[in-house]
Amino acid sequence: MAAAEHAAAVSGADALDTYPLLVGKQDNTTLTGNLLAHVWARPDKGWLLSFMIALSGSGALVLAITVTLVEGIGAWGNNIPVGWAFDITNFVWWIGIGHAGTLISAILFLFQQRWRTAINRFSEAMTIFAVMCAGLFPLLHTGRPWFAYFMFPYPSTLEMWPQFKSPLIWDVFAVSTYFTVSVLFWYLGLIPDLASLRDASKSPIQRRLYGIFALGWRGSGRHWHNYKVGYLLLAGLSTPLVVSVHTIVSFDFAVALIPGWHTTIFPPYFVAGAVFSGFAMVMSWMVPARHFLGLKHVITMRHLENMNKIILATGMLVSYGYLMEHWIAWYSGNQFEWFVFFNRATGPYRGVYYLMLFCNVLVPQIFWFKYFRTSIPWMFIASIFVNIGMWCERFVIIVTSLHRDFLPAAWDMYYPTWVDITLFLGTIGFFSTCFLLFLKFIPAVAVSEVKELNEELRHRPAPVTVVTGA
Amino acid sequence: MEHAAEHHGHAAPVGKTYVLARFESGEALVDACYKVREKGFETIDTHSPYPLHGGDEALGLGRSRVPSIALAGGLTGMFGGYLMMVYMNAWNWPINVGGRPPHAPPSFIPITFETTVLLASLSIFFGLLALMRLPQPYHATFEHEGFRSAVNDGFWLSVALPPGSDGKDAAALVSQLGAKEISTVKESAE
Repeated sequence: MAAAEHAAAVSGADALDTYPLLVGKQDNTTLTGNLLAHVWARPDKGWLLSFMIALSGSGALVLAITVTLVEGIGAWGNNIPVGWAFDITNFVWWIGIGHAGTLISAILFLFQQRWRTAINRFSEAMTIFAVMCAGLFPLLHTGRPWFAYFMFPYPSTLEMWPQFKSPLIWDVFAVSTYFTVSVLFWYLGLIPDLASLRDASKSPIQRRLYGIFALGWRGSGRHWHNYKVGYLLLAGLSTPLVVSVHTIVSFDFAVALIPGWHTTIFPPYFVAGAVFSGFAMVMSWMVPARHFLGLKHVITMRHLENMNKIILATGMLVSYGYLMEHWIAWYSGNQFEWFVFFNRATGPYRGVYYLMLFCNVLVPQIFWFKYFRTSIPWMFIASIFVNIGMWCERFVIIVTSLHRDFLPAAWDMYYPTWVDITLFLGTIGFFSTCFLLFLKFIPAVAVSEVKELNEELRHRPAPVTVVTGA
Repeated sequence: MEHAAEHHGHAAPVGKTYVLARFESGEALVDACYKVREKGFETIDTHSPYPLHGGDEALGLGRSRVPSIALAGGLTGMFGGYLMMVYMNAWNWPINVGGRPPHAPPSFIPITFETTVLLASLSIFFGLLALMRLPQPYHATFEHEGFRSAVNDGFWLSVALPPGSDGKDAAALVSQLGAKEISTVKESAE
């Protein structure tokens, strides 16, 4: 393969695509070098500073958990009627954030979207850490997390079994399955790259450590033969799984009889919201990470623009959900249902409601314009807004539906305590800690997949004949 | 006699010997596989940083067994999950919750789905490890330092030699096919 031909094939890959999937002339040697470089580099000041801040956040989390365990749930602002508040809001928010990872790694894989290759590792890691944060909240909300194993079907001396007709038990199975499958999928994808790290390492300690996790992978054709099929099947299983998880999370609400919760639109509306917030979170991390890790040649503007398009599309789905919810509330003629929606817009929590509408409905509209889709500062700011907006959405759904229920005598306000706020910020710290460690020790981009992509791009037919790209 | 051989499985004289050969590109490696197999060497393997295009055919590999393993796992999860709930909630300890029947099929579907996916995924993962015989921290091919490029940027062919062969014929063959780096490795006695 002549060098010039290769360069032409890569840079001019697709006449209709402004931005390439891979920048510059790359081969297996250069990719091994530049994709693993950030693992070998000593942590710089920026990383250390971020890590310190994140670690302090994790410390705050430990503190808040300790207070919760010592004092009990009373340390939170929850009351009757607002029995679910920050904790379940955070749970749903974090789980939703995880969903983008599975969407990118599994669904885009099945659709053979080439642009997923550079960002799947990154977002799968995010899924795992987000689910860890999510799982913490219902666990703490049980009040006695040390008895959490009661929720699993094991032959106990109490001779009791879990009540399988409850959506809360469905949640236990959904979230634990989701976590397990995400970890397996992520680790399976990592094995070839861990072997790559093992064999590219200079020090015996690194060689040994990565060697342990690489399980003795030697790129064998007989292994790849089964590996490819296994990976494809796991992607196939993760796809309905990711939809089922947020569907089941939405059942926690939809199966209840509370006005504002008891609606059939919840499952698809929750799944769309999950993907929306997840992509926003991937964006918030990817923009700085690609800059600081030197990954701009594999995570190109093409990737970012495609992600912004997905944010726009899912943002529109979420907006449609809002519209339908309100329409049905009015059209049903049910005064309790209508009151909940009227109260959201005019009641004491209206600020959160309007912030939600601004962030989730208005902000993504900027992505109709190519200027915003390809502007790094704008997409970063927009992604932060979407993260905030989706958190507000969960708060609005949970708290405003509960705080004014059927009888005005039972109404009450919910205000978070410092423990609530610290727990939430603490999970952000914990998430960031895990993520920064991931970025330091593991290649942020699936190296073997990018090499395969590079090989595929090299063998592409003449540029003009290719119409479909992303 | 047989027992003795098994006992000394790791002793030096019985250790497996491989001829390793590096090729310039994936295509060259795939082509070489066909030619090496034509000459009667069937116990060959390729080693590459990513799956080779046409690599499965070149090694003469048939259908993967992974889908059957996944199906078996999925079916186990599906029936196991559903029957578990029927046993626990309808037979062993029925509880009346909101007047719903103890055996309530619609309410059992979500968990049935989750256990199906869970067991299918676990069986894929562990089935894969079993099929690939991983973890395998030591393999004779790791004896050659240059072989470290196999997971980064090298395309290697390995030929497992029959007992008693010194590998000269295999080495000559791969050299003729254009291999760039040839080495014979022996499983360590340790």
